[in-house]
This record gives sequence, C-alpha cells and structure tokens, in this order.
Amino acid sequence: MVDGVEIGTSLPALTVRFTRERLVRYAGASTDFNPIHYSEHFARRVGLPGVIAHGMLTMGTALRVVTNWVGDPSRVISYAVRFTRPVLVPDGADGVEVEFGGTVSAIDGSLVTVNIEAVSDGQKVLGAARAEVDLGVRVPHLDHGTSYAP
Amino acid sequence: MAITEAHAGRRYPPCDPYQVSAAKISEFATALGDDNPRYRGDSPMAPPTFAAVISAPAWNQVFSDPELDLSRERILHGDQRFIFMRPLHAGDVVIATVTIDKVRVRSGSELISATVDITSREGEPGCSAQATFAHAREAAA
Repeated sequence: MVDGVEIGTSLPALTVRFTRERLVRYAGASTDFNPIHYSEHFARRVGLPGVIAHGMLTMGTALRVVTNWVGDPSRVISYAVRFTRPVLVPDGADGVEVEFGGTVSAIDGSLVTVNIEAVSDGQKVLGAARAEVDLGVRVPHLDHGTSYAP
Repeated sequence: MAITEAHAGRRYPPCDPYQVSAAKISEFATALGDDNPRYRGDSPMAPPTFAAVISAPAWNQVFSDPELDLSRERILHGDQRFIFMRPLHAGDVVIATVTIDKVRVRSGSELISATVDITSREGEPGCSAQATFAHAREAAA
C-alpha cells in the first residue's frame, strides 16, 4: 500500500490549449509530418472535418496528469489509450482546450493504476486510457535506475 | 498488391541505431508543454511517450512497404500501448524493430496492429510499443 493513495483518489486536473502552433511543434519534435495535422485543405480531402491533433500529442499531454503527480516519470511502467475521437484544432490563437483528469482505479502493492480522461469540445477523445505507475520507495543503494524496493 | 491478413507476422529489419539527445528530449517535452525538471538539465530522461519518436522510422517501414500499398496520409492511429522496461536517457543508443502482429481487412479500410520493440544494441529490452492503425483504402468523396 502507498500512503494517502486509495481507489478513487483524484489526481490534479490539467487544461491545455491545443493550437496550430502546438501541432507544428509536435510535428517537428515527433517527426510525424502527416499534413492532416497542419493543412485544412489536405485534412478535408481525406474526409476529416478539419485539421486534427496528433493522437500521440493528446496521449503524451494526458500523461502529464500522472507524471505531475508522481514527479518522477521513470515510475510509469505502462501506458495505453484508444484514440476514440479526433481533436479538431481550429486555426487562430484560441485553438481548442483539452481537459485532462486522472483517478486511481487499482492498487496492487506499490503498483497503482490511473484511469485518465481527456475531453475536448464536451466529448471524450481518449478511451480506455490507463497508466500504471510504481510508487515503491526508491532505495538509493539498491537503485540501478529502474529497481525499486518492494 | 495490397495489404492482406497474410501479412501478419511480417518482421522488418532493425532500424538504424537512434541516439537519444538532450536537445531532442527538450524539444519533445516543450512540444508537450511539459516543464518536468527530469526532462531538462545535464542528464535528462525522455518523456515516456518519446518512444513514439523512436518508433516513427519503424512505423514508416510498414507505411512505405510497396507490397502493402498504403498511403501515409490516410492512416489514423487507432490505439497505442507502451510497456516500459527501462527509462530512456540522453546518450542512450537504441534500436527499433517492427513486426506486423495482425491485419484485419474491412470494406475500404484495413486495421493494422504492429509492435515496435525498442532495445539496446545488446538487445536489452527498453520499451514495447504496440499500436493499431486504421488505413482508409478508398479516397473520400
């Protein structure tokens, strides 16, 4: 068990504004230059309602809820999502807001599972989003980078 | 030629070794708007989803395989799972190898499940990145 953590514990929420600038930054950082993430004309040509965020941008941003909470991102041992709806990102400085939240859904010893929610324009954009973190106490003399005390 | 269910099990040659750099970690964390101090400084670790950066060339091997006849811009990410065995740090050199696990052909589209294994040069596992991509075969009206 981990002190102060129980099933149902809510993690601090996070609201992030996705703009076209952010999509361009993410394209460069991730090397995913699919034009559906920057070209309106191109996105519409392949049947999308407009430019959409990279799924991995939404996934990566959502994990901040968990890593902000645990502090040390190396405690994340698994992370999975389904991309259930595209996040439409209008042109202009306002872009679109995406709200992220997390709730502890399972505890097994020092392993804690967090269910993550991501909502844009009133709709959930991630499904079955779960991260597993190891909150075990780190013992310096046993620390080989990823080893934690039981 | 087009992708079929018989392409399940297809394994591609390992990608060129990728050296994780502090500059790329910082760029990636900034793109996520993430100011976690562990991603900055002299010896940063990479954000967990940085595994997608390393997976990208492996995914592109699949997307550009002439035998599968896929069109990159008609591919949407359906789901993604990462299992992290070892965090990535600046200076690490890793190798990505992709395998097609499963293909489901539907009318006008295909669902492609693939796993990228990210390992050290010696083959020590670092991350397993399992994804499903939906490819729209027909042009939208």
